[in-house]
Amino acid sequence: MKTRLTAVVALTALLGLSACGGGDSGGSDGPVSLRMTTWSANEAHLKLFDEIAAEYRATHPDVTAITFDPILFESYTTTLTTQIAGGNPPDLAWVLENAAPDFVSSGALVPLDSTLKGTDGYNFDELTPAATKLWQRDGKLYGYPFSTSPFGIFVNTDLVKAAGAKSPAELIAAGTWNWDNAIATASTVASKTGKAGLVVRDFDYKGWDNLSTVWTGWGAQAWSADGKTCGFDAPEMVEAMTFLHDAIFTAKALPGPGTAADFFAGEAGMTITQISRASLLEKQTFGWDLVPLPAGPKGDYSVIGQGGMGVLKKGKHADAAADFLAYLTNPTNSAKLAQFFPPPRTPLLTAETLAKTNPLLKPEQLQQVVIDGIANGVVKPSHSGQAELSQAVRAALDPLWKADADVKGVLDGVCSAINPLLGK
Amino acid sequence: MNSRLPLRARVALYGVICLLAVPFVFPTWWMITSSFKPVADIFAFPPSLFPDDLSFSAYRRVFELQPFARQYFNSAYIAAVVTVGTLAVSALAGYAFARIRFRGQQFLFLVVLVGLLIPSEVTIVPLFQLFNSVGLVDTHWPLILVPMLGAPSVLATFIMRQFFITLPAELEEAARVDGLGRLATFWRIALPLARPALGAVAIFTFLHSWNLYLEPIVFLSSPEKFTLPQALTQFVDAYGGPMWDVQLSAASMTALPVLVVFVLAQRQFIEGLAHTGLKG
Amino acid sequence: MPVLTDDAAGRVDTRPAPGENPPQRRAWWTSRRRDQLAGLLFVTPQLVGTALFVLLPLGLVVWYSLHEWNVLADTFDFVGTDNYRKLVDDPNLPSVLRSTAYFSVGLVVLNLGLALLLAVLLNQKLRGTVVFRTLFFSPVVVSLVAWTIVWGFLLQDNGGVNGVAGMVGADGPNWLRGEWTAMLSVIVVQVVKNVGLNMVLFLAALQGVPAELYEAARVEGASRWTQFRRITVPLISPTILLTSIITVAGALQVFAQIAVLTQGGPGTSTTVLVYYLYQQAFQFHQFGYGSTLSVLLFAIVLTLTVVQWRMRRRWVFHEQ
Repeated sequence: MKTRLTAVVALTALLGLSACGGGDSGGSDGPVSLRMTTWSANEAHLKLFDEIAAEYRATHPDVTAITFDPILFESYTTTLTTQIAGGNPPDLAWVLENAAPDFVSSGALVPLDSTLKGTDGYNFDELTPAATKLWQRDGKLYGYPFSTSPFGIFVNTDLVKAAGAKSPAELIAAGTWNWDNAIATASTVASKTGKAGLVVRDFDYKGWDNLSTVWTGWGAQAWSADGKTCGFDAPEMVEAMTFLHDAIFTAKALPGPGTAADFFAGEAGMTITQISRASLLEKQTFGWDLVPLPAGPKGDYSVIGQGGMGVLKKGKHADAAADFLAYLTNPTNSAKLAQFFPPPRTPLLTAETLAKTNPLLKPEQLQQVVIDGIANGVVKPSHSGQAELSQAVRAALDPLWKADADVKGVLDGVCSAINPLLGK
Repeated sequence: MNSRLPLRARVALYGVICLLAVPFVFPTWWMITSSFKPVADIFAFPPSLFPDDLSFSAYRRVFELQPFARQYFNSAYIAAVVTVGTLAVSALAGYAFARIRFRGQQFLFLVVLVGLLIPSEVTIVPLFQLFNSVGLVDTHWPLILVPMLGAPSVLATFIMRQFFITLPAELEEAARVDGLGRLATFWRIALPLARPALGAVAIFTFLHSWNLYLEPIVFLSSPEKFTLPQALTQFVDAYGGPMWDVQLSAASMTALPVLVVFVLAQRQFIEGLAHTGLKG
Repeated sequence: MPVLTDDAAGRVDTRPAPGENPPQRRAWWTSRRRDQLAGLLFVTPQLVGTALFVLLPLGLVVWYSLHEWNVLADTFDFVGTDNYRKLVDDPNLPSVLRSTAYFSVGLVVLNLGLALLLAVLLNQKLRGTVVFRTLFFSPVVVSLVAWTIVWGFLLQDNGGVNGVAGMVGADGPNWLRGEWTAMLSVIVVQVVKNVGLNMVLFLAALQGVPAELYEAARVEGASRWTQFRRITVPLISPTILLTSIITVAGALQVFAQIAVLTQGGPGTSTTVLVYYLYQQAFQFHQFGYGSTLSVLLFAIVLTLTVVQWRMRRRWVFHEQ
């Protein structure tokens, strides 16, 4: 029995070590095949990627294959982590904005500056600082923010008209498109039509980071820029959350907890979401509009969500992968990608360029929401250890979603729950 | 179980069953009918019970967007191989654990039972390392070998043991009188009697393999090797949002074969002992 | 390796040894030895699979639990029992274990009770039982995504469940937002989805109960309830043991629907152990600590299973 036990332990140790020690990176000679994990299985996306990859291989005979490996969005990080843990990491990976700080700070990704700057015609300076901020550490760029998508408000103009409420377009024309009036409109829609007024998409009283599209207008933030101080108990946040709480429970402008309403099925007057969702309106029967986020007490603002691409240090061909990334995101190919993903390059951020690839949106909508949004956008809250933080905030915020909640008390509770995590 | 019930009891029984069935049937109904609705109607609230007009376009797109027929075949052949393999492995082991006396039987059974106790999320990383080290990642082998021999087959063995243990002791005596060895007793006498249990095992095993989700996602990366649950996740629009009509069409088609297997296999429960003429 | 022979303690074989040898065989080749060989050969495929695909991975998980393993940072450092000390001090653990206990007990009781009820109802000689069996089984094959979407609808504050409650004059709660009701909802949704599996096992077992026994009982004037208690339950007790072991083990492993319906909330009221370990390992990238939680989960399931297994001789008919 004893010898057997020793043998098992030895075997497991051997397997464990070999699996974890085999992370050699760097350049390699001979034939190279590259693999990139994505969370989009969309046919059109993959076709474009395959085309670009084929062009790249035509000039790089040593690269024998480039495959794109789509993984379901919900299980993306889990699967990616399992592959890395199991010793089969991809060479390149898409990284979600909320995982960005973890990937950037952990050293899992290779710095890209020298490769990108060293590529002819790459025009590294075109990348807007607002877009690259999240992907940098110590002045080095660890991920390319290939998709920078601002949040805006989609309006069901039929519902707003039926309710006899002031439409956002009228309010914008009058220069009074602010949160008070937005909530008044939403409240009227809800009471007159029986549908929902305003839906913060993907919030559903769980995905709290989507509320940053509201509180940023008050100048509030989840935590300080250096990530060390909790912002939930700050006066601006208390004010913003009190406003939101009243909008939900007094004005009934937002559907309450446990009540879902889908804007794209025509069940809400307005919804806050990323502009990339415009595609859902393609075959829509109701009239719609896209407007920027309303002004908060601190004035105009915008919020963006991002996706990045990085090269994994543990991948077998990190150098070749970085070289391909430089090709995939050069000015020419960025322009091609722009039809699906708002690009981080300034020359591409013009209403004309974007209009060609976003036929559903009018030029002024693109200018107001996309171009201005990307230039001034605040990225949704993210922090290293985001998943754990996010979970802690969600649990601590739950008591807020009751009609008689003590807003200040709950927000103080959020801070005491996450302070130990922020300090890490 | 009993002879015919009086009329009043039968009506009451139907009433109870129908009422109970509502929460079971409604989601299935919703999945199937929604697959015929336009996307905008799927999330309408309250949901409509019938689609306004039947649209098969989503069903067509399922096959246009993915090598769905190929993926269907993958799932079907993997599930079939696993089911047959598991039936063999578990019937043998279950019979031995129930009816043969051998030293270490109890201990070995408890060791095997361990497989029932571990969630697959726990062992997925080591299993991935194992198959990666022998170069079997992105093949169907992990999806066949692990369910057939590993943790999932333990349930099957357990079902078979619990069934064989209820067979009357006279069986082996009769077999002995006929001069049959262990294997012949198992094959000619015990196995034909075990049809209800084999039916249950077939349903469980087929279903488990057919619905396997985490493992294919982790082990497979080429679309032509995908299995159905994995393929379902690939129907997304240009911005990564699910194409609900197409997903629900694919999901309905995925559910159908399992219901067919169920209808076929459940007949074993009725015919099981009745046809052998053996009544304990 | 020592061989445990606790069956010697448990039962005495009074039957004539099956497969007795013809007398001309050599004396050492007894039926006992033949059975020993046959038994081992019969279980070999299963044992090999268990060793490779269950015990080896399990050993590796134990090995990981002795490490600080951050997948992203690529650190794999031996830390001895640090993770276990962290486990003891983990402030979340008491509430996680409490939720796990509520969830498992509720699930097991409801699942077994409903499965047995359905099996007995559908084992009657009635027209259309095949249709009803299929209907009750159908949730098992519905995709989990579709399932949770529909129940998400039904459990809304203004959803179908409260609509029905309103019809009978009751004011239904906001199911997924209250601590107790969220737990109850997750249990019921899980049970309705999977009770068909246990129903199948009970149906298979009910077929093995000889009809003569019921006839005899009826002649003696036993009520239906007495027949159920005195005949049905004892005769299908091996299956009750089977279903309770797999349901208890299964209850401790449920998390997909929790992830979709409540994400462990509100607060942490539906954060059960397996969901917590999933968060630690795959979302927080702490594989070492996640493995430690796996070991804890395994120890709990193992203990419960061994207890059930040991108790079987008290009440399971064919095991005495």
